Amino acid sequence: MTSLELANVSVRARGKTLLRDVSLRLQQGEFVALLGPNGAGKTTLLRAALGLLPAEGSVLLDGQPVREMPGRERAAKLAWLPQQSAAAEPITVLEQVTAARFRFHETHHAAEAGALAALDAAGAAQFAARHVNELSGGEAQRVAVAGMIAQETPLLLLDEPANHLDPAQQIELYRLIARLWRDGRGVLCITHDVNMLRFVGESAVRVVGMAEGRVRFECEYGAPELPGHVGDLFKVGIEIVQAGADRLLVPSGRPA
Amino acid sequence: MKTRVLLLCLLSAAVVGASPWLGRSLEGDTGRFILENLRIPRVLMAVLVGGTLSLVGACYQTIFANPLAAPSTVGTTAGATLGALVAVVAAPALGISLASGLPMIAALAFVGALLVSLAIAAIAARGKARVNDILLAGIAISLAAAAISTGLQFSADQMQLYAAIQWTLGHLPQVGYRGVVMLLPFVAICWVVLLSQTRALQTLLGGEERAHSQGVNVPWLRSLVLGVGALGVGACVAWCGPIAFIGLIVPHMVRMGVGASRRVMLPMSVVLGAGFLTACDTVARLIVVGRELPVGVVTSAIGAPLLVWLVVRQGSSRGTHKSS
Repeated sequence: MTSLELANVSVRARGKTLLRDVSLRLQQGEFVALLGPNGAGKTTLLRAALGLLPAEGSVLLDGQPVREMPGRERAAKLAWLPQQSAAAEPITVLEQVTAARFRFHETHHAAEAGALAALDAAGAAQFAARHVNELSGGEAQRVAVAGMIAQETPLLLLDEPANHLDPAQQIELYRLIARLWRDGRGVLCITHDVNMLRFVGESAVRVVGMAEGRVRFECEYGAPELPGHVGDLFKVGIEIVQAGADRLLVPSGRPA
Repeated sequence: MKTRVLLLCLLSAAVVGASPWLGRSLEGDTGRFILENLRIPRVLMAVLVGGTLSLVGACYQTIFANPLAAPSTVGTTAGATLGALVAVVAAPALGISLASGLPMIAALAFVGALLVSLAIAAIAARGKARVNDILLAGIAISLAAAAISTGLQFSADQMQLYAAIQWTLGHLPQVGYRGVVMLLPFVAICWVVLLSQTRALQTLLGGEERAHSQGVNVPWLRSLVLGVGALGVGACVAWCGPIAFIGLIVPHMVRMGVGASRRVMLPMSVVLGAGFLTACDTVARLIVVGRELPVGVVTSAIGAPLLVWLVVRQGSSRGTHKSS
């Protein structure tokens, strides 16, 4: 079972400490939601996990230091959805998703077949012939998820995947991510909106709160202490609103 | 798209095939000699040089994620020119004729191109350097190399100065099949290596960090493209002088014709580059009766306005970028 393990990871850049002594583990089959205010170090953590940043401590992917792994070997285990994923030039959606299969040694025909299957799984097959810079925000994000699926990895890292999407698109996207998780992948997902996790499947989701480069709390989504932790993390009061079967955490406007 | 690819291939082939036959009538033994020993090797040279400069330009535009990147704008051509000029000025002083000194010119042009490429790669490898910084550094290096080149010409005697000026205008020389055969290995290495990186370059279109996450070794890819690009550009500059704008114009023409997918764009840059430089050289040969213009004059006359148009277009597309 593939795992990603960060142990006592610190990242410093330009005299600033972006991550301090962070430890986190993601295993295949787990869903970890990473929560925290802007500047908490969440994206830095993902970039360190991908080996994009030099970090103190250890970042191990299946027991191997991630920065020392050959690119294709790392890409066979770990896929990433960055906050912005627009292509530099007007290539088609199919060409972009096909390119995401770089890690495979295969013919172009096989790569295209894999890309079409991934687009289908992401519900984006209808965009295949369109240019990537003609897509709306929601369509583009769906195509980006298709790129991750095309990579066929057991672990997925998602950086605020629902950013800039309208509520319907957010729900649709979280349902898609939940499907990928239920298919057996491990998911580490940065989010600002803890309530979106109810579209994933509350009980098994682990929530990790970060602020000022440190891990502040870790608990299950359904845990009774979560509202208090979230309030402390964002320094706001949190009210619990019961909407049918769902428990919603709503900022009250009062200080925590 | 397949039709367009086919049409562009046919167009290039037609230009290359027709070029040797255009111009003064080729009758008798003299005409046959001109055709076989002068015009055909010259067209072959145009095919090799045009294809190489265009392919390197398309690859540079990919690794720098900038449509304005080309051997002439990132400084590779200027480095090669400086290295070759050192050889052009030094060769007669060492008792070597320019024709027999070609290997020395090629070697120094390659060294010049490589040194500039290494400098650009070092700037690019610094995390903080943005793509535009790299282009600005390329322009600064080009200006510095041009200043040193002018200094070299200033200190040269009349014969060296004439040879240097003629060479820096960019031309397809009458070097016969010998020149073609000597250039071929450099060009072949350049084409084979760069075209073998098509998938990695296509993946790089999604962004450097994204490509890293998808398994591309980006620093290695960039170094490979810069190193092999320096080899190809250095060899071409050594034989033909700095033929400007081919590496900038042709990839844009290909992009407009068949799209931006590197799987099609890179090989088509070779095909169209070959046809385009042959066409420019034919124009340079025929436009003034009784004299030949250096081909660099024709490519510059087309390339300079196109560069301005691209800069303006890039600025306006930034202003109207679609937001989600």
